[in-house]
Amino acid sequence: MPLLDVRNLTIELDTPHGRVRALENVSLTLNAGEIHGLVGESGSGRSLLARAILGIPGPSWTITADRMMWDGNNLMAMSSKERRNLMGSDIAMIFQDPSGSLDPTQTIGRQLMPAMPKNPNIYFWKRRKYARLTAQKWLHKVGIKNPQQVMSSYAWQLSEGECQKVMIAMAVANQPRLLIADEPTSSMELSTQAQIFRLLSQLNQLQNVSILLISHELETLAQWCDHLSVLYCGQVMESGPTDDVIKQPYHPYTKALLDNMPGYSGIIGHKAIMPTLPGSAPALQHLPIGCRLGPRCPEAQKKCVYQPKLSHIKDRYFACHFPYHGDTPNDDSTA
Amino acid sequence: MQPVKVYQEDRIASPAKRVWITFSANPFALAGLWSISLLLLLTLFGPMIAPFAPETQDPRALLLPPSWDPSGTVTHFLGTDDLGRDIFSRLLYGAHLTFGMALLIVITALIIGFIIGSLSGMMRGLKSSILAHLLDSLLSIPSLLMAILVVAVMGPGLENVFWAVGIALTPQFVRSIHHSVHEELQKEYVTAARLDGANSLQVFWYVIMPNVWEVVIIQTTLAISAAILDIAALGFLNLGAQAPSPEWGAMVAQGMDNLLTAPWAVTIPGLAILFSVLAINLVGDGLRSALAPIRN
Amino acid sequence: MFAYLLRRLNLFLATSLVMIGVLFYATGLFPVERTYALTGIHAPTTSQLIQIEQDYKLDKHSGWQFIAYLQQRLSGNLGISVTSHQQVAEELRSVLPASFELATMAAIIAICLGVPIGVLASQSQHKLTQNTIMAITLTGYSVPVFWLGLYLSLWFGVDLGWLPISGQINLLYEIKPITGFMLVDTLLSKSEYGMSAFKDALLHIILPAMTLAVLPFTVVVRSTRSAMMNVMDQTYIRAAEARGMHTSTIILRHALPNALIPVLKHLGLMLGSFASYAIVVEMIFSWPGVGSWLVSGIYQRDYTVIQGGILAVALLIIFLSILIEVLHTVFNPLSRKDLYATR
Repeated sequence: MPLLDVRNLTIELDTPHGRVRALENVSLTLNAGEIHGLVGESGSGRSLLARAILGIPGPSWTITADRMMWDGNNLMAMSSKERRNLMGSDIAMIFQDPSGSLDPTQTIGRQLMPAMPKNPNIYFWKRRKYARLTAQKWLHKVGIKNPQQVMSSYAWQLSEGECQKVMIAMAVANQPRLLIADEPTSSMELSTQAQIFRLLSQLNQLQNVSILLISHELETLAQWCDHLSVLYCGQVMESGPTDDVIKQPYHPYTKALLDNMPGYSGIIGHKAIMPTLPGSAPALQHLPIGCRLGPRCPEAQKKCVYQPKLSHIKDRYFACHFPYHGDTPNDDSTA
Repeated sequence: MQPVKVYQEDRIASPAKRVWITFSANPFALAGLWSISLLLLLTLFGPMIAPFAPETQDPRALLLPPSWDPSGTVTHFLGTDDLGRDIFSRLLYGAHLTFGMALLIVITALIIGFIIGSLSGMMRGLKSSILAHLLDSLLSIPSLLMAILVVAVMGPGLENVFWAVGIALTPQFVRSIHHSVHEELQKEYVTAARLDGANSLQVFWYVIMPNVWEVVIIQTTLAISAAILDIAALGFLNLGAQAPSPEWGAMVAQGMDNLLTAPWAVTIPGLAILFSVLAINLVGDGLRSALAPIRN
Repeated sequence: MFAYLLRRLNLFLATSLVMIGVLFYATGLFPVERTYALTGIHAPTTSQLIQIEQDYKLDKHSGWQFIAYLQQRLSGNLGISVTSHQQVAEELRSVLPASFELATMAAIIAICLGVPIGVLASQSQHKLTQNTIMAITLTGYSVPVFWLGLYLSLWFGVDLGWLPISGQINLLYEIKPITGFMLVDTLLSKSEYGMSAFKDALLHIILPAMTLAVLPFTVVVRSTRSAMMNVMDQTYIRAAEARGMHTSTIILRHALPNALIPVLKHLGLMLGSFASYAIVVEMIFSWPGVGSWLVSGIYQRDYTVIQGGILAVALLIIFLSILIEVLHTVFNPLSRKDLYATR
């Protein structure tokens, strides 16, 4: 049984231009113990998806889904209180703006200590000390060399990388089973990025934390993830094991993404035009009907004004009427 | 054949237009704007439509209640005070004393504050901080104390209210304009404009000012409401407009003697003050929330 | 941090100096004899005249005169009152505590009621609740305070007869001033009527304090609301939610401390108008504080009282606003960020 199973999740936002489907029929399956990459351009609804899974929707959201199962329990049927409890213990999330995710008026220690797991066997007067020690232990585990000093500093005294490590420590201290990492390394240097990814991958191996890694960089995701899902404009384009997806993309969008990366498509001639899709991602209020890639897709035909169903071949899922392979797909609705 | 529109056309409104759209979507702010227009008209043409002169005393109609009271008459629509003066007419005449005076004071303070504030904002170092902080000390004297000081020097009277409230308001303009000019000056786009070869005057007028107008507008609405309240308070304390004057605060003070027998002589001018300040605050509030998305 | 405090102290001294300069200049403009305006002695004898000229260096250049004026005023010589022939400094000392008492009471009412209501307004999902709170505060912000005071005293004092409408305490009680704060003095007094006197003083302070509290209350509610709405949108609030903290815990631990910082700033900016309002309120309720003392001083053209009162109140406001700024820096680690960067 998958740890997280989302079927046909749709998120509608109320904007001044009317109600907009920011996320349309998104499906996502995440197995225990894997690192699942979610790739997409900014504005493709990655963060919305993450927040919807975690259960902290914005004020003007309408979320509908056929199924949203967490370890066999229906998330849609839970009360907000139950979901809050789940958030603290089972699902954790780190955000793309680590220094902004920490309260600027409190020291790191004061924020870290309440997030530490409580041990009911310890007398209450010793709990503070215990919490401090656990906090230090976790800071050490995420690779902070001077935990005591960090605990007494404010968020703005630390670098982005350190802040993100603190956030990770806070998130994993309660031993969650799923960690949602929403662009954990944006605006960081390459070496710090590598540190954070290595840390996440270690956590995945040692603590058996499943990770939903959200990013716009296909390269990094390809390097660290077991599974990949490709999102465009709020629709899932393709999903499958990383190696297979990289080796033979079925969906034109995935192919375009891969072609964009110079490393994967052979030598580029002198002054050759870099392969990209024509046009740019549409704004939320101007979404095309049917397959949202339609107007930009090299393979698009008349049929594409209808949204393709998510079909699958073995463990590869894709939503395209004209995928890059010879086999006839099995329609997912029968699976 | 008309081309098929694939995408709806999406005109991006100019900032002023967008402010107006957000502003007019707020019914309270719009009501405030209409009220202010009405007040402006009354300030200009009030004396023409007033049925009586403000000082006309009608000895046969002393302390007449407003017309909706059984014993009131329609000739004295809002009743009369203890000297038989028609309250409605006095209100109309008072509009240009209270409301018009407030506008005049704010405009003067705005001009002076704008000049000093933008000069000190554009300057650096000691000159700037002397100009800015010199007036900060005036800011610490509350407007009423300033008025008391002015009255002590020049004696009570409506002209002195002009100076008192004006001196109290100017530093606020200087301060807010200085701060926002100074803040904008630190930003990157100003550096970019300088690198394009803009001189200080161009930087000030074409680059910085469009981003400071909002502050000026908001500060102006705040200042008008403060000015009205101050003028009225001074009139009430008998330090501003003197006894026979139909200034609204002074009218409240004159009605005080008969507060128990003729409360309308106090209620009506008070309501007039409340109404005009409320209208201005509604507009100010609406403007602030309409400007907020642009400012951030 | 030390350099910062030094800078603030510097600002305080400079601002006070300019303020005293303004006062000195105004004293020269008073339409009476210079000696009379400075000391309050109407017809000085020859020896007094010589003394005054010596004290205020009236024979010298105006720069020297200012220094002498500064010396006299700062050493506590505020001259004598024209009407009561008492030392102005003495009178000031007797009226200041009453004003403090009133202002503190009003501030407590405003903050204790304003902050929770502001938080409520920011959290409420109901359009009606929000609009009601905003309408009430906007009206409270616009209402002329003298008119409001008159009506409150008319309703609660005259029509309903619940509360006394003038003075600090019923004149029948004889309370020896110890601290000057009537509420404290009545509690401290050994008299057998101490308790009932305290109750009486409490009843007396309710109306003026409520009237005076209207302005800071509305400012607190509005600024708390906007600051809370602003803070609740921040990432760290969402991060705290993602950690599974309860909404009430988040508000108390993270949102409120961050939101109260701008509220403090607004309170500091409001001090001047608060003082103006206090003067009017003291006049209406015949509260024996600085405000009514000053206003009666101006009615009687008591120039020394005017100078002394303005000096005291303005110095107090300068001091308080700088104190609030310092507190703002102390409570707001973010504003220390600048200091941190320049270290």
